[in-house]
Amino acid sequence: MQANVNRVFMIGWEYPPHNSGGLGVACEGLTKALSDDQQLQIDFTLPYSPPEKIQHMNVHGCVDESWLDDENYPTQPPFSVYHQVPVAFEAVDLKMLDRYKLTALPQSILETKVEQYAGKVLETGASTDQDFDIIHAHDWMSFPAGIKLKQKTGKPLVTHIHSTEHDRTALGTGSPYITHTEYEGVRMSDRVIAVSGYTKHLLVEKYGADPAKIDVVHNGIDPLITPPKRGKHYFASKRPVVAFMGRLTLHKGVEYFLAVAKYVTRQIPDALFVVAGSGDMYHQLLIRTAQERLTASVLFSGFVRDRQKEILLNRADVFMMPSVSEPFGLVALEAAQRQIPVIISKNAGVSEVLKNSIALDFWDVEAMGKTVIKILSDRGYASNIVEGQLRDLNNLTWDRAAAKVSQVYRKAFLG
Amino acid sequence: MPQICFYLHLHQPYRLKPLSIFEVGKQKIDYFSAKKSDDNQEVFCKVAEKSYLPMLSLLLRLSKRHPQFKVAFSISGIFIEQAEKYSPQVMKLLRKLAAQTDQVELLAETYYHSLSSLFSPAEFRDQVELHRRVIWEKFERQPVFFRNTELIYSNDIAEQVAQMGYVGMLTEAVPRYLHGRKKTQVFASAAQNRLPLLLKHAELSDDIAFRFSDTNWQWYPLTVERYQEWIANYGAEELVNLFMDFETFGEHQWADTGIFDFFERWVQQFLSREENSFVLPTEAVMPYLEKTAQRENALTKIRAFFAGLGKPDAMKVHLNQKKLAALPVYDVPEPISWADVDRDLTAWTENDLQQDTIEKIYRLEEIIRGLGNQTLLDRWRRLQTSDHFYYMCTKWSADGDVHAYFSPYASPYEAYRNFSIALADLQETLI
Repeated sequence: MQANVNRVFMIGWEYPPHNSGGLGVACEGLTKALSDDQQLQIDFTLPYSPPEKIQHMNVHGCVDESWLDDENYPTQPPFSVYHQVPVAFEAVDLKMLDRYKLTALPQSILETKVEQYAGKVLETGASTDQDFDIIHAHDWMSFPAGIKLKQKTGKPLVTHIHSTEHDRTALGTGSPYITHTEYEGVRMSDRVIAVSGYTKHLLVEKYGADPAKIDVVHNGIDPLITPPKRGKHYFASKRPVVAFMGRLTLHKGVEYFLAVAKYVTRQIPDALFVVAGSGDMYHQLLIRTAQERLTASVLFSGFVRDRQKEILLNRADVFMMPSVSEPFGLVALEAAQRQIPVIISKNAGVSEVLKNSIALDFWDVEAMGKTVIKILSDRGYASNIVEGQLRDLNNLTWDRAAAKVSQVYRKAFLG
Repeated sequence: MPQICFYLHLHQPYRLKPLSIFEVGKQKIDYFSAKKSDDNQEVFCKVAEKSYLPMLSLLLRLSKRHPQFKVAFSISGIFIEQAEKYSPQVMKLLRKLAAQTDQVELLAETYYHSLSSLFSPAEFRDQVELHRRVIWEKFERQPVFFRNTELIYSNDIAEQVAQMGYVGMLTEAVPRYLHGRKKTQVFASAAQNRLPLLLKHAELSDDIAFRFSDTNWQWYPLTVERYQEWIANYGAEELVNLFMDFETFGEHQWADTGIFDFFERWVQQFLSREENSFVLPTEAVMPYLEKTAQRENALTKIRAFFAGLGKPDAMKVHLNQKKLAALPVYDVPEPISWADVDRDLTAWTENDLQQDTIEKIYRLEEIIRGLGNQTLLDRWRRLQTSDHFYYMCTKWSADGDVHAYFSPYASPYEAYRNFSIALADLQETLI
């Protein structure tokens, strides 16, 4: 019997550029490092056929034929609902499940889709002659597939928890099906990877998972190829800019961002708050902004990616992530990398590694507001935070994350 | 048969182009026209083809054929700007019509079709003055009769208009303020300085403006004879005020509904009886003007009246308050308008999206007016155009459909979002 893990069968859901959140980004960073640094061979499944060639692994589009005929099946990536954002691949006939829209489907349909995906993954898994050592499944959408494949092949299963239903929904309003799928996934797996201590704690608390089975592997971040060109030359050069970036959902705490905007603009009337993202709270947040009389002080950019994301981060004077619950929060690392002082919720996994950012309670509007004002008015304070954050980042590479994941594989493989 | 006062409103807003937050503070954004495809030009040319050109031609023909046919126009300043840029032919026809001084009257209003009458007396006065000048400059006509944006009216607004020296005002006949009185008579405002008022006949106006092509309407298709019969219900001493959007003809009601033909035949039929007549708004209120020796003749002949007005600086027409005191009073403490079912302001000022942006616009007033920068002032005023706030309306009912029809946005939220970006940019230029 071989003693080493050489080949991983990985079950994914989204992958850049067709990602709606951090999951896709994490999958990209991790698989690249596993392939390049750990010399692992990876088979990676997606519920759509990616139009781009991905070099470092074999990607399998696992598309159920019924999806192609279904008119209700989302044919566009979620972010293209914001028509002002040019979406380069709009012309591509991409059949993709948006995991956020998916959650809103009736449970029976939801189950069917995920089961169908599991079926296709199983076929693909079988066609690889079962020549893999480990099954690695990312988040609940891939757990039924992971479990089935494990049962069929007897290979060890590693589940990777990037977020839980408890993070995504308000207290107790999560889907019982998703919650159960997460529970089963954790129960049935040989090892569990949690993206933070915060998430590990949730798994133990909410799903009664055995803490000994869970390893924490914080996400990494690719170093910037070119240093950030910080400055006021991008837009709104005469105003301090405070940025939020993320899905406009309850757990991201966007409402607290608006409350901070109200607090700060009382003292700094020209401060400009930018909400970048899309999501089901969009209309509600616009109304809230109007109710608080924050027009021209809070602007909504819609979903940003690539160049626009870069511009916003390069321009911002403060980055805020007031999440109610945040398993990790990758974008905080991107902000830190671009040398922005970051204010982060204590309920965010990333606060465990970005130790020099300012971690506060998401509900403490006054503390957050005061910190924003201090950062905007005290240059020394701001640059201390930035320097500290850059030191934090030195340890946060995907190579280090991949090395830890590789250890987890070993543990699972050796049993 | 009553007298008919027929009035049409010509207006096109400068719609905002889709704005990006990344342009804020770049100092060079034109909020209103995109380089590649200018929506405003597109809309204007489309409506010109469907409505302005055919209807203006028809009105010109009718006015030549029937010396008794009369029509009043209100033309917003930003309509005139766009007509000059996008469709000079529209201006040409308007000028020809405006030259028929005894058959065509041009009314006063705010240049920017704004809600300034509700939020800023100084701004209101300035925009009315700007409009008066453009009407003189383009048409050599001196407006003396006032119509406010969307026929928005209240006692307070009437007082401002009277103080500016206008001889009358159009507005909506709202049942809750009519108290059962006939709307087919001249009313006076309930204010210090009384102002004669003409109230819109909503039923007979909307039969054409809204119901004409409604196949579910019990009177569809409306015949000239039936419409004539309804009008004949009113006596010779009464005044039926038919007020509508100009685009009713050809845009809201397309040519294939037969609207042009209907109108032409109705005018012909109405005027076939010699005792029937059209009146211009100012004509209708002539009995309440102060007589002076040299204007004795002018007060009986509208052509002579308008000729006697001379250049804008020379405008001196006075109302006879004693005669006005005999008129029934239209007491409107809360603003009304001609819009939607409730004829109130809810189409523009009801929800938070609207209130937030309107408040912000007028909070900038002091500093922007203080700067005296004409470009900035013009931008700010274009953002005051009522249509921007109409697009943010979230009312959900029969009115919602009408709002959606006129909006360039996918939703009221998008209207607010985009408008906020323009406001943020404007704010940036003031720092």
